[in-house]
Amino acid sequence: MNKQRRVMLAVLAALPFAQAFAAVPAGYPASYQAVIDAANKEGKLVVYSTTDTALMQPLLKDFQKMYPAIKLEYNDVNSTELYNRYISETAAGGASADVLWSSAMDLQAKLVNDGYAMKYATPEVKNLPDWAHWRDEVFGTTYEPISIVYNKRLVPAGEVPKTHAELVTLLTKNTAKYKGKVTTYDIEKSGTGFLFVTQDAKVNPAFWNLAKAFGAVDVKLQSSTGGMMERISSGENLIGYNILGSYAITRAKTDPNIGFVMPTDYSLVISRLMFVSKTAKAPNAAKVWVDYVLSRRGQSILAMSADLYSVRKDIAGQASGDYLGRVLGAALKPVAVGPGLLTYLDQAKRLDFIKQWKQALGR
Amino acid sequence: MNALARYGLSRTMVVLVMALAVFMPIGLVLWQSTLNAPFFMPNHAYGLDAFRFIFDDSDFWSALKNTVFIAVSMLVIAVPLGGALAFLLARTDLPCRRPIELMVMVPVFVSPFVLGFGYVVATGPVGFYTLWVQNLIGTVPWNVYSLPSIALIAGLTHVPHVYLYASSALKNLGSDVEEAARVTGASPFEVARRVSLPMVAPSLLYSGVLVFFLGFEIFGLPLILGDPEGHLVLASYLYKLTNKLGIPSYHLMAAVAVCIIGVTFPLVLLQRYLLRSANRYIAVKGKVTRQKRLPLGQWRLPALALVLFWLLVTVIVPLSGITFRAFVSFWGEGVSFAEAFSLHAFVEIWNQPNLLRAVLNSVLIGVIGGGVAVMAYTAIGLASHRKQDGLTRIVDYMVLIPRAVPGLLAGLAFLWVFLFVPGLKEIRSTLISVWLAYMVVWLAYGMRLISSALLQVAPELEESARTLGASAARVSKDVTLPLIRFGLLSSWVLMFMIFEREYSTGVYLLSPGTEVIGSMLVSLWAAGAVDIVAALSLINVALVAIGLAIALKFGVNLHE
Repeated sequence: MNKQRRVMLAVLAALPFAQAFAAVPAGYPASYQAVIDAANKEGKLVVYSTTDTALMQPLLKDFQKMYPAIKLEYNDVNSTELYNRYISETAAGGASADVLWSSAMDLQAKLVNDGYAMKYATPEVKNLPDWAHWRDEVFGTTYEPISIVYNKRLVPAGEVPKTHAELVTLLTKNTAKYKGKVTTYDIEKSGTGFLFVTQDAKVNPAFWNLAKAFGAVDVKLQSSTGGMMERISSGENLIGYNILGSYAITRAKTDPNIGFVMPTDYSLVISRLMFVSKTAKAPNAAKVWVDYVLSRRGQSILAMSADLYSVRKDIAGQASGDYLGRVLGAALKPVAVGPGLLTYLDQAKRLDFIKQWKQALGR
Repeated sequence: MNALARYGLSRTMVVLVMALAVFMPIGLVLWQSTLNAPFFMPNHAYGLDAFRFIFDDSDFWSALKNTVFIAVSMLVIAVPLGGALAFLLARTDLPCRRPIELMVMVPVFVSPFVLGFGYVVATGPVGFYTLWVQNLIGTVPWNVYSLPSIALIAGLTHVPHVYLYASSALKNLGSDVEEAARVTGASPFEVARRVSLPMVAPSLLYSGVLVFFLGFEIFGLPLILGDPEGHLVLASYLYKLTNKLGIPSYHLMAAVAVCIIGVTFPLVLLQRYLLRSANRYIAVKGKVTRQKRLPLGQWRLPALALVLFWLLVTVIVPLSGITFRAFVSFWGEGVSFAEAFSLHAFVEIWNQPNLLRAVLNSVLIGVIGGGVAVMAYTAIGLASHRKQDGLTRIVDYMVLIPRAVPGLLAGLAFLWVFLFVPGLKEIRSTLISVWLAYMVVWLAYGMRLISSALLQVAPELEESARTLGASAARVSKDVTLPLIRFGLLSSWVLMFMIFEREYSTGVYLLSPGTEVIGSMLVSLWAAGAVDIVAALSLINVALVAIGLAIALKFGVNLHE
């Protein structure tokens, strides 16, 4: 009897939630109910993402609370791996991701351009800035400025560069002190690093001076943010260039050695891009997920728990790109989602750029 | 049908399965290297573009140059030191021989990736020992990221490989010649150099080729130590190609792999030839009546100091570095241990399902995977046991082939096999995929364990059973297998340790469900989660230590 009662209670407790949460979100067309019902019927959603599972935990839990009938399988892999796995699995015709979510904007744009994405006009698209979506297929989900990171113990406050020009000056004046102590991405090993530097070259006419200054201090090239952060924290390196701001913010919370600045002349902003696979096994669950991540609720959780600024225009408070915009103003240069991202996936152009970069570094 | 009749059903089946497991991935690599795009993309065409690209790439040539430099250095460092170590431990009255003999094996069973990482945190520019030395003498006399350092570390960590072969040969020598030399006034050093070591020259030569060959496949150490200054070797160049063009360049990677195989396969054949002639050479050693340890006299303590110094540099420094790093959340100049102490990394492993799974999977693949691998190797071993026919010769050569393929690429090839061979897709996301790849990559090693166990069974025992009318299967089941029981058990322990150690083969097979510590380490290192890498490395070393302890308890001969 006791057991029966417990089951009853559980059912009763779950009922109002199931009703409340599986309902059409406010502002969506009534026909959306059909999408939710179909999603519940599909019952399972596979997401490939480049963002750490640990960081995403609150978002994933909240989604499960809202849509308990959709079993969410969240796989975190690095960006190249994500691309490789997805195209080979798709070619083999087997099970693959329903949703692809990656910080490698160029690779995502290539997949979209190569026709791997499903068209989906999400009801949330009106809340996104124009640069953050392309062809009703791929959507920016975060607003992440690129920062300069430094070691607080070893770089005196007066030396911390606030702009790209100040960084060049610092390195040319204090060449001896910073020799071997500056680090940035190895663009041959990191697609993200490559993307940042090519965007730099586009935005900043004096970029190649910076590259030469890096060469003069014998810059240390690393393949990952974590590797750079670790070495800056330990004092092996002092300044790290082009590091994702979200990582810097998170690490600075627990590591007293880490300081960071968003340059005030210009700060690149990237966004983690998401699209639904054309061959998705659960297209409706995928739609529900995309809408959820872009919704106010999803965006707030991302911003609060993962230090990923919201890409939406209508979120107030310190967590939004909007807020950042008021602080840094026109200095923020979001990388637009679109065919422009494809330029350097052309082998010849890419190798040319790498060559030019290496020459500037004196390698 | 003809073959079936000649060799019997079960033998033919075993060999066929083995051939599939060996040739499918290799075949894919060879085929891929002749295409200009991933083989599964609709727009691929045949051509030698891939080779043209890498031969035009200056990185390839510098990687090749570095690889040759490292391989030669390893040879020059490991062979004399390994020979000397073997002489000291096998032939002389060096103090503390037992514990040293055990410690010597540590670099063989600890993953080079873990060791490399240990060197970074212990002796990198702001490593624990670096800061300590800097405080002590004001300057740091080494740079662990330089090419000579990488070569030196690679050489020192491969000393045990030479030691293994040299010591087992030395143990079979009689001590009469050494005594004669000693009586006529030779110092222990001269005895080693002019008498004992020349007598085991074939073993030294063999292990020299082995070390040189391992130098061509070296990946973990240069991946970690070579990164900051951009020193590439062939395997890390191959790894770098994953990203260089932004999109996957499988054809280029396959072309590099073909180049590596082009060097390693002849070396493998040379090894096989040398091993045979080495055995012949040892066979004429004459009667081993008694062995007496050579007294080192006044050299006892200096010799011990030398061996301990080697142990300090190759085992204690990196392992203590890892241990220390696992318990601090950040570190560097001016940071005190008390301020940075934290169990955060271990808590994180406990809390993150994929990390916890990696630890559990590693245990599973070592214990169960290792056990099943021993069974499979035994099946192959029995298929060619006491039968000198064509099939046995095929098996002999087939065993050698995977040996020549770097683990990193073998893993990628297996990924393709699992994706594109119908019926295997289901296996892909299970641990079985990793296990199969491990088993093929370590085929040669495992087969050596099994065949040395099988060789210990005297033929007359099996023959008498046959004479009494037992079938071949019955003989295997009731005579051979029970007799090699202990050999199989010790092979199991050794396979356990080897599977714990493996890191590169699983890299491309890594997906939810197939995480093992080894491949997680490479992936986490790439993502920069250094404290987790340290904690996982420590767990990995602990697992290997458990394996060693079990091996010791059961008296397993680690020197197989």
